[in-house]
Amino acid sequence: MALTLSEAGQNIVAGTFGRAMKRAGEALGAMSGQVIEVQAPLLRRCTAADVLTMAGGPESIVLAVYVGITGSLQGHALLLFSPADAHRLAQILLTGLLGPGELPMDKTADILAYDELELSALQEAGNVTISAFLNELGMHLHEPVQPTPPQVIVEMAGAVLDAVLLDLVSDADQVLAAKTTFSEGGRAIECTMFVLPRDDSLRVLLDALGAIGI
Amino acid sequence: MTLTQSPSLLVAGIGEMVMSSSPDAHLVAYGLGSCIALAVWDPRAMVGGLAHFMLPSGPANNCSPVKFIDTGLDTFLTAMEAKGAVLSRSLLKAAGAAAMLTIGGGLAIGKRNAESMQSALADRGLSLAACALGGNAGRTVQLDVATGRLLIKSLSSVSEL
Repeated sequence: MALTLSEAGQNIVAGTFGRAMKRAGEALGAMSGQVIEVQAPLLRRCTAADVLTMAGGPESIVLAVYVGITGSLQGHALLLFSPADAHRLAQILLTGLLGPGELPMDKTADILAYDELELSALQEAGNVTISAFLNELGMHLHEPVQPTPPQVIVEMAGAVLDAVLLDLVSDADQVLAAKTTFSEGGRAIECTMFVLPRDDSLRVLLDALGAIGI
Repeated sequence: MTLTQSPSLLVAGIGEMVMSSSPDAHLVAYGLGSCIALAVWDPRAMVGGLAHFMLPSGPANNCSPVKFIDTGLDTFLTAMEAKGAVLSRSLLKAAGAAAMLTIGGGLAIGKRNAESMQSALADRGLSLAACALGGNAGRTVQLDVATGRLLIKSLSSVSEL
């Protein structure tokens, strides 16, 4: 049966996801030592094709940090950066951790190439950010929501997202996609976060939030 | 060798198929990961088609005509025949079915897609003339209806089937 929410129910969900996205942004800010601005999340019940459009189109090249969501809520979460912004965030994180004198030399002009330290820093940024989001949702569910170990991939957005969407759309034609954009200093780092819960556990979450039947 | 940006570009989104008998037409499926694209081209009728499948199997009553291989393959092949293609002389090529992420303990949907496609075609007495399946790189594919060439673009290369 298709999930439908009243306007009041939608407002409850939007408010909860908004707070969770804010916590995620704060976690990213604390890790990078920057003030991260968080846009009000866009929450949509949409098709797989719509999700690809929200990600900037299937051919746009992204660095993606993927974290699976397990436990009382199941689904997928992704942080998407443009290749240039991913380098910038990695440099900010590594400067904070290692100090400017210890940063690895820029050996290549290839914007799609990342060294191990950069990938590790970005993986951790994804982990911290998405975990902060899940902790907020876990508070409402009164049961833990656990992230899987993060995976980092540089690819076309379509190729990254279709792996996730295939897992979601076998039973449902539509998914709930929550998206926000984090930015620092107006533009220095821009990052898009997607949270895509599985349809069955989405019902559990909406129930816990009191968003169904109002 | 580059992908064409022509006004006669027809895009097969996820779970969609496109067909054309116009020699100017190029049929494209962008950003394939675990999904699989099947191209059918009849050199005599000069008809080409491209379908963008998501999964090996699923319910028939869904919104996308070629979302699932088990229910969507016949939909696509029948539509190609209606467009004038004769399947026995057509060239079939496939690309995609990569393993992009380890999800759910490694469901290997890409591998299952590749196996399902080859098995479903064999059941219908058909086989692939060429394919670029598996691996762990995303692909964009483009069928040139005038020549039957299938260009495959990844982040690091462009090749042709």
